[in-house]
Amino acid sequence: MSLDVDQEILEDFLVEAGEILELLSEQLVELEQRPEDRDLLNAIFRGFHTVKGGAGFLQLDAMVDCCHKAENLFDLLRNGELSVSANLMDVVLQALDSVNLMFEQVRSGQEPEPAPADLMQRLVVITEGGAEADEPEAATAPAPAPEPVAESSKPNPNTPNDEFDQLLGDLVSDNKETLASSEAGQRADDDLITEDEFDALLDELHGAGKGPGALDHPEKSAQVSSDEITDDEFEALLDDLQSKGQGAFAALGSADTAAKPEATKLESVAPPAKVAPTEPPKAVEPPVVSKSPTAEPSARGTMPAQQKAVQESNVRVDTALLDKIMNMVGELVLVRNRLVRLGGTREDEEMSKALGTLDMVTADLQTSVMKTRMQPVKKVFGRFPRLIRDLSRSLKKEIRLELRGEDTDLDKNLVEALADPLIHLVRNSVDHGIEAPDVREKNGKPREGSVLLSAEQEGDHILLIIRDDGAGMDPEKLRRLAVERGMLDTESAARLTDQECFNLIFHAGFSTKTEISDVSGRGVGMDVVKTKITQLNGTLAIDSILGQGTQIAIQVPLTLAIMPTLMVTLESQAFALPLVNVNEIYNIDLTKTNIVDGQQVIIVRDQALPLFHLKRWMVKGCEHEPLPDQGHVVIVSVGTTRVGFVVDQLVGQEEVVIKPLGSILHGTQGLSGATITGDGRIALIIDIPNLLKRYAS
Amino acid sequence: MPGGLCLVKKDIRILVVDDFSTMRRIIKNLLRDLGFTNVEEADDGKTALPILKQGRIEFLITDWNMPGMTGIDLLKTVRADPELSHIPVLMVTAEAKREQIIAAAQAGVNGYVIKPFTAVVLKEKIEKIFERIT
Repeated sequence: MSLDVDQEILEDFLVEAGEILELLSEQLVELEQRPEDRDLLNAIFRGFHTVKGGAGFLQLDAMVDCCHKAENLFDLLRNGELSVSANLMDVVLQALDSVNLMFEQVRSGQEPEPAPADLMQRLVVITEGGAEADEPEAATAPAPAPEPVAESSKPNPNTPNDEFDQLLGDLVSDNKETLASSEAGQRADDDLITEDEFDALLDELHGAGKGPGALDHPEKSAQVSSDEITDDEFEALLDDLQSKGQGAFAALGSADTAAKPEATKLESVAPPAKVAPTEPPKAVEPPVVSKSPTAEPSARGTMPAQQKAVQESNVRVDTALLDKIMNMVGELVLVRNRLVRLGGTREDEEMSKALGTLDMVTADLQTSVMKTRMQPVKKVFGRFPRLIRDLSRSLKKEIRLELRGEDTDLDKNLVEALADPLIHLVRNSVDHGIEAPDVREKNGKPREGSVLLSAEQEGDHILLIIRDDGAGMDPEKLRRLAVERGMLDTESAARLTDQECFNLIFHAGFSTKTEISDVSGRGVGMDVVKTKITQLNGTLAIDSILGQGTQIAIQVPLTLAIMPTLMVTLESQAFALPLVNVNEIYNIDLTKTNIVDGQQVIIVRDQALPLFHLKRWMVKGCEHEPLPDQGHVVIVSVGTTRVGFVVDQLVGQEEVVIKPLGSILHGTQGLSGATITGDGRIALIIDIPNLLKRYAS
Repeated sequence: MPGGLCLVKKDIRILVVDDFSTMRRIIKNLLRDLGFTNVEEADDGKTALPILKQGRIEFLITDWNMPGMTGIDLLKTVRADPELSHIPVLMVTAEAKREQIIAAAQAGVNGYVIKPFTAVVLKEKIEKIFERIT
């Protein structure tokens, strides 16, 4: 990829055209709902057109070719010469897929591979089928790559060549003729104009050379050979338009000569019908009229050359740099915490004022930096209309997708990390949840199933909901399956609440479908989803009503870099418990514990919760530490499991910046990182789900 | 081609109009390669007009196909405005469709260039336009 294009432009193109492609995918699905929407058709046409234009400069011929064909198709669609059909949409969507594929190839530094020939062929066939032949590309299309070919096999349209000029006559009449003849499906490039023709046209339009009467005859036959305008023709046209090269733009240099009368001839040239040299100036469309001599100096005078008109309000920034800034802000936050703590112990008014300001500014800075990393969740949601469309077609179900809260912002990393889990959950809803239309009808439901995907911000986290109105899940069936798969014995299965049964689907190796469908896979998915969400410090809740549908709620923090925690101490060591898992804090009498199934439990509001002495796990030498009589208990929840941790001291809530553990501790199960506390100590951040997995199961 | 670029002042103020910012950047880079550094941008006809109205732009390069206001409409508006009608216009288009180019010529375009193009081609186009008007 060379031309006059550098790597930076390629990157720009990848970003910007990537956005267009995403948009196209949404628009195409929308189009199925509103196939007659002119604006939409135009927008899609323009999308392909723009991508093609950019790809052309980057010499991505395969992409140019594919976009070009799609563009032609949409040109017909938007002109009403074709109409949208499901079949057509399939082909177009596939074409978009191949463009996306090429995009990925380019992104990874490869030359894009051409789209499958049969796909291109189908595009062409559809385009041709609808073209009343006045679309030139319809004829060109069977050639493997019209655009590149056009450029290599014939003189580049931009290259000046010496075709004879003064072809205006044909030009104008030929214009009409070309249309007529190409209607007969004649030559491919009939509608293409050459430079020379253009020159000639301009000359004629602007010029005094010929009377309009002379327009039609000369050299009509010469014209047939090539309908691309050449430079010389263009020159000639310009000459005629502008009194043989003199004048119209005198304003920029010499004196103005292009008189109005000449200009008015434009009007007479425009319609193929010859008009006698019309003198009365038609004011409709003042053609290339030269500027009045006075205007020039005044224009010059009014430009003190400052004040940028539209300044670029956007700057593209490498996300690595944002990460770095975020990290530094994190450090700043830690120092701030430390200073605030130190300042609090001194009775110095000046100092506390300064600290107050520092505190505020740091908080603002932190929010602003976080905002730079925010992206609307639309980035992920945008894929779903297409996904639902394809799934409904392949599964023969009728599904309406509703998206809510697409503008909700969350951290870029989260947006990316959430994509796969969400896709999996939605697929699952469609595949396992929504019933076939006939079944739905029989059950008194509307044939069309509905899937809702919503996002909203709730305090410092984001709540994502995936809800379907499908068959729902049967807790009894889940219990049975869990026993069949040897995950639970009958007794403990029977003890599970319905909620807990639903959560079984997130366990590894649990798939409710005995047959494997190619849509939702083989039961590895759901536990991967769960793991992924947990990694994001998120939680996942599932609820279902048999026959009415299922709802999955995902909570994730707004950002991954900063985490609200509950700071506790164990043997004077600080530990941070992610606040997302913490339910409540108790100070209770620990002599009243019971043992159930060999596990120490404590009764909190009539509910028995397993009780763990955290110190036994986290502090060396305390493995058999007895429970104190009275103690602080932190109740945490992971999924539906709730347990109590006994800790020595509660320090309080603190926002911490997560630092990865060093290589020695890296990967220690139960610890997700470390941080520096306000009093300057190092605190380990506890990964509660993994801690429980490691010690309590 | 007598004269060549010497006809064109390097500090001429150029407005590039295209809705695709990558394309604006490409054109800007090509212009820069040719020595034109005084370049402004607008993303469609509607945003271009206020910039043009400030009266500092001396050369307009516009894409054809844009949402909002297309290149041809922009051209017509420019030609219809006595304050702006002196500005030479180079139209960037995807293909040399006769019908389109004739329409553009009639609307008062000074030249057209077909995507994709190189700096050399752009140079020729600009030279030709200025050769004609000086």
